[in-house]
Amino acid sequence: MKLFLKIFLWFLAAIALMVGVVMFITKTFQTEPTFGRWQRGARAQLSVYSATASQIYDQEGEAALRQFMSRLKDAETLLEVDLLDRDGRLFYGDATNIREFDTVIARTLASGTAELDVTTKDTPLGATSVKFADGQSYLLLIRWEPSRAPSLFFDSWLGYLRLAGLLVTVIVVCYALALYLTSPIRKLREATQKLAEGDLETRVAPRVGRRRDELADLALDFDIMAERIGSLITSQQRLARDISHELRSPLARLNVALEIAKQKAGGESEPLLERIETESNRLNDMISRLLTLSRLESGAVDVDRVRVDLAELVRDVAADAEFEAQAKGKFVQVLSADACNVEGSEDLLRSAIENVLRNAIRYTPDRSVVEVSLAANNGKAVLKVVDKGGGVPEDELPNLFRPFYRIGESRERRTGGSGLGLAIAERAIKAHKGTITARNANGGLTIEIGLNTASRASG
Amino acid sequence: MDKILIVDDDEELCELVSEYLTVEGFDVKCANDGEEGLNQALSDEYDLAILDVMLPRMNGFDVLRKLRETSKLPVLMLTARGDDMERIVGLEIGADDYLPKPFNPRELAARLRAILRRATTRNDENGSGEKLDVDGIQISPASRAAVLDGIDLNLTSVEFELLRVLLSEAGKVVKKEDLSQRVLERDLSPYDRSLDMHISNLRKKLGARGNGTERIKTIRSVGYIYTLV
Repeated sequence: MKLFLKIFLWFLAAIALMVGVVMFITKTFQTEPTFGRWQRGARAQLSVYSATASQIYDQEGEAALRQFMSRLKDAETLLEVDLLDRDGRLFYGDATNIREFDTVIARTLASGTAELDVTTKDTPLGATSVKFADGQSYLLLIRWEPSRAPSLFFDSWLGYLRLAGLLVTVIVVCYALALYLTSPIRKLREATQKLAEGDLETRVAPRVGRRRDELADLALDFDIMAERIGSLITSQQRLARDISHELRSPLARLNVALEIAKQKAGGESEPLLERIETESNRLNDMISRLLTLSRLESGAVDVDRVRVDLAELVRDVAADAEFEAQAKGKFVQVLSADACNVEGSEDLLRSAIENVLRNAIRYTPDRSVVEVSLAANNGKAVLKVVDKGGGVPEDELPNLFRPFYRIGESRERRTGGSGLGLAIAERAIKAHKGTITARNANGGLTIEIGLNTASRASG
Repeated sequence: MDKILIVDDDEELCELVSEYLTVEGFDVKCANDGEEGLNQALSDEYDLAILDVMLPRMNGFDVLRKLRETSKLPVLMLTARGDDMERIVGLEIGADDYLPKPFNPRELAARLRAILRRATTRNDENGSGEKLDVDGIQISPASRAAVLDGIDLNLTSVEFELLRVLLSEAGKVVKKEDLSQRVLERDLSPYDRSLDMHISNLRKKLGARGNGTERIKTIRSVGYIYTLV
């Protein structure tokens, strides 16, 4: 879960719990005295009603008593009012739930005073005897509304307003707090990702604002680290580039001197001079690849956004590679090439595909076929180059794209590779936000390049 | 003897190249910075200039640009190997050919001969080319001029030769191998993109037809065709 959400929810939960505890305590320890007060009040109510009823009957008669009873019934807190005579006949009221009063009636008859029953039903019941001047004795039964302590939140519009106010305040405060704690972390994370992607200019301290806490210190430390890494990498790249450039001049002179030597030399030294030429060409090739690589790694190469017909490019490079392969008695076959376009630099893509293909040709055995297939769907183009060169050990696969990485030490040298081809391909594909992976399959190595295709419409 | 001007700041390399090219039958002079190179190139003494890109005082591109304002002296650019931008820019501003540095001197000599041969054919009235007038383009090998709608296209020697070959075979596919042989006078080698580069420059200078169709079409992996309406 996101840290922001965690902090937010935890604080929300803490405050909710606090409010809950306060409410619980209030309810539990405050209702008891309230209840006692209510009971005293209820008993007093009963005796007042009883006295009033007998007075009314004595002075004004039966009809007035009924009128009084119905007035009582209309009172807000009373749910039911009944009047029974000694024999249990209903003088006034509703007989439906009359049996619920049995306990309290029994108690009243026994004690002769007003009695309450708060346990049989959640509506408290009360009974008292009413004695008239003519000697008749009646029972007055009353059912009250359920008694409870007034709720803090749910009783009235004021309660709901209180609740809403509390909720809004709590949510706003928690949100602000969570935001305050997590926003610098989020910014740090963004910066770290950018740095990992190779943007060495990333700095975060100016973005975390004017805070002075551990997070601000962390941001400052991050910037110092980024600065240091940046300068290290730049100087290393510059070194590689400078070395490559400086090696060029003597190599150019060597080439010319060699040719002059050839002009002048007799037949005997011819093979040796040829050999020197081969080696110098190899050196040359390696330097130019090193330059390409360092340019790609430094991000100095702007990938221009040109539409490139990938299918055509693949066929084109494959045709060139076939030409080279045939000279070595090997073959290149394009199994499929779905029509698709990608956006990017044709030169970079060409060099990536070319390097992968030439690598495959180098390792595939004589008279075998390097298979190329390009599939496009769902906005993705996948180019597969499959050779039959026996593959590489599984745990070496990720290292294939490292410059000068040699598997089993001698392999690459024997076959005359520079050790830079796949590294260049990887950097070039990455510059196009694509993917390149290697895996063993069918007794050989399969290199798979994935690129995002450009939508047809924008062309 | 053909007079060659080498403009390169590496004096030792200049000496070695002159020694080699002298044996190969060229008359070679050196210039070690851009300004001197430009002055020499403008002096009308030379048949061809070899121009390095990285030069003190004035870089190779600027020299070429200035030179092309007044002169059609054939130029071969020496570019940093692996730097496609240099190659493309060089050809775009009117170099006749390029060679990545470090280069093979035999290759250099062969290229020089090819460029010179093209230049002399053009100057030769009885040369191989008859005048052509196809699809609104008039080309006359004698004056090395290609004119479209009355405007000189200002083609380099390679572009001119490419157009001449394509026009003379207009409507038919010309194989890349043949183009390489007839125009660049060398075998087509894999991964060599210079032919495509020259064609793309030529296309740019020709522009599309009024109705938007391309004049020169690429036949994938085979060659090029000058389409007829």
